[in-house]
Amino acid sequence: MPFFIHKFNFNNTRWHVFSRIIAAVFGGYALATSSSILLAKLLGDVVGHYQAIHIGLMLTFLTYACATMWVFSVVSAKSAWFGLLKLNAIFAVLVLLLMQFTEMSS
Amino acid sequence: MKGNFRQSMKWLHTWVGLVVGWILFFMFLTGTLGYFYQEITRWMEPERPFVEHNISNEKLIDIAQVYLKKNAQGIDEWDIMLPNVRDQNLRVGWRHAPEPGKKRGRYKITVLDIESGSKVESRATGGGRLLYRMHYRLHYLSTDISYWIVGFCSMLMLLAVITGVVIHKKIFTDFFTFRAKKGLLGWLDIHNVLSVIALPFHFMITYSGLLFFLFTYMVLSTNLQVNEDEYNEMRKEIFPRTSQVDSANQPTEMLAISSLYKQVNHQWKTNELSYIEVSAADDINARALFVRHETDITYNPEDQIMINAITGEVISQKTKQYTVTGIIHNGFFSLHEGQFSGPLARWIYFFTGLIGTAMIASGLVLWTTKRKQQQMKKPQGPDFGYRLVEQLNIGTIVGLPIAIAMYFYANRLLPLGMTERADWEANVMFISWALLLIYPAFRPKSKAWLEQLQLAALVFCFMPILNMLTTDKHLGVTIPHGDWNYAGFDLTMLFIGGAFAFSAYKFKQLQGKESKVKRDRKNMTTDNSIMLSKENKRAA
Repeated sequence: MPFFIHKFNFNNTRWHVFSRIIAAVFGGYALATSSSILLAKLLGDVVGHYQAIHIGLMLTFLTYACATMWVFSVVSAKSAWFGLLKLNAIFAVLVLLLMQFTEMSS
Repeated sequence: MKGNFRQSMKWLHTWVGLVVGWILFFMFLTGTLGYFYQEITRWMEPERPFVEHNISNEKLIDIAQVYLKKNAQGIDEWDIMLPNVRDQNLRVGWRHAPEPGKKRGRYKITVLDIESGSKVESRATGGGRLLYRMHYRLHYLSTDISYWIVGFCSMLMLLAVITGVVIHKKIFTDFFTFRAKKGLLGWLDIHNVLSVIALPFHFMITYSGLLFFLFTYMVLSTNLQVNEDEYNEMRKEIFPRTSQVDSANQPTEMLAISSLYKQVNHQWKTNELSYIEVSAADDINARALFVRHETDITYNPEDQIMINAITGEVISQKTKQYTVTGIIHNGFFSLHEGQFSGPLARWIYFFTGLIGTAMIASGLVLWTTKRKQQQMKKPQGPDFGYRLVEQLNIGTIVGLPIAIAMYFYANRLLPLGMTERADWEANVMFISWALLLIYPAFRPKSKAWLEQLQLAALVFCFMPILNMLTTDKHLGVTIPHGDWNYAGFDLTMLFIGGAFAFSAYKFKQLQGKESKVKRDRKNMTTDNSIMLSKENKRAA
């Protein structure tokens, strides 16, 4: 029984590390995706549609790596999750706004 | 996570490197061998004849065309590969009819005997290509699963490289510090030197490796932005390829390809033809694309000439238009593969790849060295995790090279007529690796290191002798014949064997020193206690 309690103790360091790993793997991937789309939308008019997408995609691995490093550098797992969610939400909103804007102008 | 930023990154670097370290070691080692995959294949097909050097390209092309006409009728695309520095045999290739149950047939290469113009029957082997393919496609697992595993490991490698740079604020001073033979510091310095010395390579090879599967790994972002048609269009923009023609199903006689080559030769003014791609062969649409050796990383358009194989006219090609990002992307591919490199650059690639492999190995060893003292103090012996890491280290760092040697042994020793012979070469390799991974569990760890190092030395040094016993192309023949690709393989094996023998010797020496120090310390304490008790007695 103590084993189970130990396992479900959310203040446990292991749980925190696990939480960060999940945040890094999935949250980081989401951030890589959203940042690439945002970049593609921003650059679309400057360098051409496909090239903008391509630039965004090529930079995803670096974004992903930086996001992971950030997740493991902040004080707590909670702030890592919140940070990633916030940034992802901001990127998503910006993408939606940019899409509205291009629709209006065209 | 751990105090300040650098300490957190150090933690991340340690664990990211450890978790997939052994798979990365496998990827780096097999990938490094890939720089010589053609040479390895040549060694693994010893039936291939030595090559006469005085035959003109025209004549070689004629031989190939005659063979293809007879044996590859109805096939649209032919490839004719001319002898070059890396492979001295004339080869032709085409996609064979699909096996039952498969959509696409397999692309097979046939080696031609220049004297008789017929196929050289060599043993069934996976050759260097299979070995090299393992570094991104692994083995046994399905293609998709392999790509994702490899991608995950590469991503962690990229992370390890970046965090590795971050945690070294004195990266350049560290490079010039080498404290040999000081245990922990010695290993740390080795790891630092190996990492810094080829840092651009480590970054390039990892990042470009990820780029190879960019659209697979970033499938979410890709699918959100483009549909399937747009995706294909985007790919065409990024990877402009020479346009091929389809057969019009109106068979006619092509001109002799060797006569077309005369025009090519006139334009290039050199003999450095690498290969010819014939599309819509013996059809009214027939074309031949002449390609010379790649000379730089941007797939120079002047390296290709396309000629109409019916009229003999040069088809002026639209120069491939790369986008800026396309140049970067393709440039990374070129850098990764090193196809443009001559013999010297190829060897540099090979050694840098080995440095990367050794960097991973030293990092893995460093993990145990750091924890050794603390672990040895534990009353019930070292933890399971520690023992597992040490066992995997021995079984992979020394075990995998032995297993690869077993792949070559299998090539020489398995019966020639065996069914699924090529598959069994790989099976032998993985069975040996499994055995060598298990072996250290039953031995004291320092003994296991030493014994596997000795085994590696033996196995590699014996390779040229095995080659001599099983084929007629041993060093005594290949060197006088000037077949340096073949001889180079044997010599490299000898060199690797020597390197393993040297490390075994050094390892034993260090072990001896370490245990001597321990013994001295023990003796000293007993001496002291005896003296003390004597003094006590006297005082009493």
